[in-house]
Order: sequence, then structure tokens, then C-alpha cells
Amino acid sequence: MGKQKIDPTDITILRNLQQDARTKYSDIAKQCNVSVDTIIKRYRKLQQQGIIKNTTLLLDPRRFGDEIIANFSIDIEPQSTTEVLNYLQKQPGILFSTHSLGEYDIFTIAAAKNMNEMNNLKEKIQSHNMIREVKTSIWVDQFLLCPQNFELEPLLETQQ
Amino acid sequence: MSELDKKIVEYLTDNARMSFRQIAQETDKSTDTIINHYTSLIETGDIRGSTVVLDTDKIGYEGIAAFEIDVTSSEETNSDNILETLIKMPNIIVATKTVGEHDLLALAVIHDLKHYQQISAEIAQIQGVKNLSSNIWSGNQKIMPKYFII
Repeated sequence: MGKQKIDPTDITILRNLQQDARTKYSDIAKQCNVSVDTIIKRYRKLQQQGIIKNTTLLLDPRRFGDEIIANFSIDIEPQSTTEVLNYLQKQPGILFSTHSLGEYDIFTIAAAKNMNEMNNLKEKIQSHNMIREVKTSIWVDQFLLCPQNFELEPLLETQQ
Repeated sequence: MSELDKKIVEYLTDNARMSFRQIAQETDKSTDTIINHYTSLIETGDIRGSTVVLDTDKIGYEGIAAFEIDVTSSEETNSDNILETLIKMPNIIVATKTVGEHDLLALAVIHDLKHYQQISAEIAQIQGVKNLSSNIWSGNQKIMPKYFII
């Protein structure tokens, strides 16, 4: 739990891998002016610390049958959060749902093959007796991802 | 997409650093075949890229905020420009145009409530942003492991 301390070499490793998880250790080593072994050791340490969970591909949902992506903002009856979240998690197409604070009670992301399917999903959710209102936003074009926008610099050990 | 393509995607989704040689061994193909398929998956855009998944809690983030943005209707503002500004802001990790209730959605990682207020204020100040509605949640839940960075 909690924030871990890292140093500039760690940051260079993470920044490279954020852009391209297949970056060669030797390329990172050159940038840091250290040996390849050092980078491998650091990479393993970042895994052991739990900072790095894994490396993965970023896929285009449309190429994998998820043509339509949308988010639902859901308003529910008082004290039905757990029930509604359980219900949502069982619906095929719901990729993510969470209890949230703010304008709505629950924030959900869903994927569907086509507009029709997305609409059916919405109507099904809306018919649940604990759900008051579902507001839908359909994502258009390719959504943008920016892993490098994570701030890592505050984790640097302060030198005093 | 061929069966081999699907296999390559499956292996690399679990571990994007898996060597092509190893995938070749697992699938009984040559390393060159794997490289060719991988290259074409990138060219067709099926694979958008690869990244490292970080534990947001361990790098100092307590939660995530979803900002739903309404854009003023005037000739000078368009949602493309706002989208570009958003995705360059630190801590905003996903942004998209939307149709329906709102015009844009941005997901941001947040350190704490004060940080959330700061990001809110920064987004509200972007030219063309008319209205901002936001939701926050705490914790380290995966959003869409296949398509997202968390």
C-alpha cells in the first residue's frame, strides 16, 4: 500500500515502456548510460515493488467486435448501490461499473457490437426497478489514450 | 483475423514483452512468421500499441475522475480542439468525443480531493467548455484491461 520511492533511472524505464512495452532493455540502458544488467535488475525490482503490474497490448475495440463503446451515468434509488452494481456486473457488454461520487451514483462503461445492441442494453438496465435514470454518451472516433500523462516525478526521493 | 493472429494477440496481451521466438515455439511457427503477422497487426491498426500497466495506488493516485464536458456552440470552438488540449494535460489518461448527453469525456487519475478540484478548475477554464459534470471513485479497479491503460 501507498506511494513507493523511485529514482530517475526507474522513471526512464517506465516512460519508455509506457510508450512501447517492447522497448529493448539495451535501448533504455543507452539512454541512462548504465549497463543492460542494471536495467533488467531495475525492471524486476519495479515488478517486485508492485509498481509494474504487467505489460499489455492496446487494442482497437472495433477490430474485436466491440464497435460501439459508451458510458452510462446512472441514478439509483437510495441504498441500492450493492444490488445495482451486482446486477450490472452480470450484464454482458458492461465492461466496468463503479459506485461514484458526484453528479450520479454509478459510472459504467459498456461495449456492444452495434447501436441496436447498445440500445437494448440501455433499455434493459433502465427497466431495473432500483434504477431511476440512465444517461448515455456514445464514444465517437477513436478514443485517445495517454499513458505518459501519469505523473511519476513526485515519486522521486527528495534530495535534501 | 486469423487464428494465429488471435494467438499472438492473446500472448502479448498477457505479456507484451514476450519474445517473438517464444511465441513461435508455442505456436509451432517460425519466428519470421510471427514477426510478419505482428507487423501487419500493427499496420492494420488492430494493435494500437503496447504499454506497461502501473499500480496507480503505488504511484500515488487515490482515485479516478470522469469529467463529462459540454461544449459551447459557436464557430470558434470545436470539440476537436478541446480534445487535443485535454489529452495533453497531465493526469488525463483517456479522452474521447461523445454523442448523447455530453460532448466529451475525459478520465483522469487523481492524487486526492484537492488535486481533483485543481483538474476540474483547469478543464473548466479551457476555451469553449460550457459545462462540466464529474464523478469520482476511489481505488485501483481495472477499467477495461484489453483497451485501456488501467
